[in-house]
Amino acid sequence: MILRIFLCMILAGSAVQVMGQSASLELSVTHQFGGKPLQRGMPYLAPAGDTFTISRFRYFISNFSLLDMNGKETALPPAYFLVDDAKEESKIMTLKDVPPGSYKSIRFLIGVDSIKNVSGPQSGALAVESGMFWSWNSGYIMAQLEGHSPVIKSPTREFVFHVGGYRQKDQVLKFVTLSFPAPVQITGSQNKRISMTADVNKWFLPDTVGFLHQPVVMAPGPQARKLAANYRHMFTITSVGE
Amino acid sequence: MKARYFIAGFCLLVVLAQAAIVKKEPAPFVLVLPPHFPAPVYDFKHNPLTKPGVALGRFMFYDYRLSKDSTVSCGFCHQQFAAFGHFDHALAHGVAGAQGVRSVPTLFNMIWQRSFMWDGGVNHLDIQPLTPLTDHNEMAMDLGELLVKMRKDTMYRRMYKEAFGTDSITSERMFKAFSQFIATMISATSKYDSVMQHTAVFTPEEEAGYKIFQQKCSSCHKEPLFTDYSYRSNGLPYLEALNDVGRMKITGNVEDNLRFKVPSLRNILKSAPYMHDGRFYDIFQVFDFYDHGVKVTATTDPLVKNGISLDEKEKRQLYFFLNTLTDEHFLKSEALSEILIPE
Repeated sequence: MILRIFLCMILAGSAVQVMGQSASLELSVTHQFGGKPLQRGMPYLAPAGDTFTISRFRYFISNFSLLDMNGKETALPPAYFLVDDAKEESKIMTLKDVPPGSYKSIRFLIGVDSIKNVSGPQSGALAVESGMFWSWNSGYIMAQLEGHSPVIKSPTREFVFHVGGYRQKDQVLKFVTLSFPAPVQITGSQNKRISMTADVNKWFLPDTVGFLHQPVVMAPGPQARKLAANYRHMFTITSVGE
Repeated sequence: MKARYFIAGFCLLVVLAQAAIVKKEPAPFVLVLPPHFPAPVYDFKHNPLTKPGVALGRFMFYDYRLSKDSTVSCGFCHQQFAAFGHFDHALAHGVAGAQGVRSVPTLFNMIWQRSFMWDGGVNHLDIQPLTPLTDHNEMAMDLGELLVKMRKDTMYRRMYKEAFGTDSITSERMFKAFSQFIATMISATSKYDSVMQHTAVFTPEEEAGYKIFQQKCSSCHKEPLFTDYSYRSNGLPYLEALNDVGRMKITGNVEDNLRFKVPSLRNILKSAPYMHDGRFYDIFQVFDFYDHGVKVTATTDPLVKNGISLDEKEKRQLYFFLNTLTDEHFLKSEALSEILIPE
């Protein structure tokens, strides 16, 4: 009898494990400039009329949630990603343990939430050796765009947009909500793929950003807030598949 | 019946097997907190002190290989006999003769501090070492390169394994080990502390100096830590050559112009030079500055706007009181002293 109970327990344990398998969402991002694939080093025309090239493009995304047909929000387990245009593998992100449901949109944060900005060193994507953390004024660089433009007067003609700031006054944390082309059904352990684009051209509009006025942004402040208010519009979902 | 014995035996086996694979936990480090101090602000829940963790932090603190050209360790600027400040140096200097614009702050009682650096720009003790490690005027190290360097070193791999269970060397673990050592730098055994705990008495001059201190200094240099950790402008004349705006650089708020952290007065006579730019080499110069050198600006603290009058007798008495804040046990503690780094 006891042996039987024991066996039952083992079996029940494995059954729970099988049932615990849940769906994942694979989120992939393609970088663009003005609707065409982004190429670092390629001359582009900024909306203000200046030619420029891009040498580096990186940003954090985190704090994912899904919204169902009634607008109810379901937070996904904590996940932080550092997307780097120079690293293809960073452009595919896996969101685990997605609860079953029918969802109409996804919501996430561009940047790293304030709690993680004040909690000391982290590991994984948030490890500070990425250089995406300010040492002199603690806090993450939420998004980064660097390049060159002939209009810049400095010897290197380099522009450096390091956008950060988690404190209320100079906060640049932007949540974005992106609608799926059609409702996404999550059932059991069936995984889904979401493809989206991030268009760097959006960094410069609607509040026009040129290179002449302030080519170096390396601290929280009005210029960082302006850039963040622009780039929050850079993402678009293009397709959802199995 | 037989089945019952069989199961019991099996269960026993499972328990024993599990006990055997339980990892040997590193020995905890028991940090004795001074009874007359408030509760520390540092949260040890996220970084419990262990003996090998503290030992690793100490080893790294004195390892000159943590700088770009292997010449400068943390302990190079933070000297124990100067209360972990830099003896006789007005401004911090680092690799290849580079010099910064501020003096080396003393290191002790850091677990009571909420933010770090003279301007409070660093918001967590664990992340504080990032600044000196990577600053071009200090150790000028690329953190990624440093981790690669450490991972190649068998001694570091062994020490990380002892401290954290596996030999994985991450920046998070590195920073936490630094904090474990820094947390043990507690200065609370000066003569002043003995007097407060009724195991010693002030001399009449010290006692007179203590009264002056309480009347004229203690609003900012609050007991028992001898700082309230606020940021204030004490009326120190602005130096154009250094162009240091202080906390305004961090907050972007003009009200913070020329504001700097109120430093602790503990071990003050051992940690000259004074002020954020080390401009005073003698404590009597500091007394004279407060007596008649304050330059009032829009942000000067109301408490010092009219200066702090101190006559010659008061200065002498104050000196004798400040001398009771020297903590010889701390300055000579073998647990904190420099260790030899093998090649």
